Amino acid sequence: MIEGVMNEKLIQLNVAADDWQDAIQKALQPFVEYDYVKQSYVDAIIQNVKDLGPYIVITKHVALPHAQTESGTLKNGIGITTLKRPVCFGNEDNDPVKYLFGLSATDSEKHLDALADLAQLIEEPSFFSLLDKAESSQEIMNYLQKRF
Amino acid sequence: MYKALVCCRAGMGSSMLLKIKADQVIKENSFPIETEHGNLDSLMGFSGDLVITMSDLADELKSQVPYALGIRNIVDKDEMKEKLSAFLAEKEGK
Repeated sequence: MIEGVMNEKLIQLNVAADDWQDAIQKALQPFVEYDYVKQSYVDAIIQNVKDLGPYIVITKHVALPHAQTESGTLKNGIGITTLKRPVCFGNEDNDPVKYLFGLSATDSEKHLDALADLAQLIEEPSFFSLLDKAESSQEIMNYLQKRF
Repeated sequence: MYKALVCCRAGMGSSMLLKIKADQVIKENSFPIETEHGNLDSLMGFSGDLVITMSDLADELKSQVPYALGIRNIVDKDEMKEKLSAFLAEKEGK
């Protein structure tokens, strides 16, 4: 379940980002620091968006930065980054993006349960209110542990 | 039963979420559609009836597959329902 692949260290609130590239870099920074992915994975996400368009923006104000497993994932992880100021990705339906859920998957089957939980959460306005109001990553981890 | 392939551009994040959401809507409405998950490589040799993907990719695929359905907002179940219904209406109309 989702709290198994989430870690307080992968949650960052009110991050300042200059643009979409900076937002992706910052959202994935703890993944690199704590060996969830290699920097090559982050570079692949940014390159994919440049080449293919903003495919990671999936609903209003939400992006799911991820790329192919072969680009350099080391272990399964889901992170949460909220931005101080939303940034545009060039997705006219869903811009601007304020919430980034970084994904790192080494095994798609194991990852599926966690993604199902994430699918549920991103449907709930109350979850986004929590992200807006929370003052620490621990608050969000507590909520997820109680919930799942 | 119609066969649908759910795919997205890279990796297995958004397409997995898309499959989860599509399956929810299919189940709630008892649509005669089965989904499987894949990537762009799975498209070669795909012999099903429908491809479910994000809207930007759907435009590109339209000429290559029997039917491509593009979703703008993964969370919007009404959009998914409407587009799956349109697919079924076209199939049953033939």
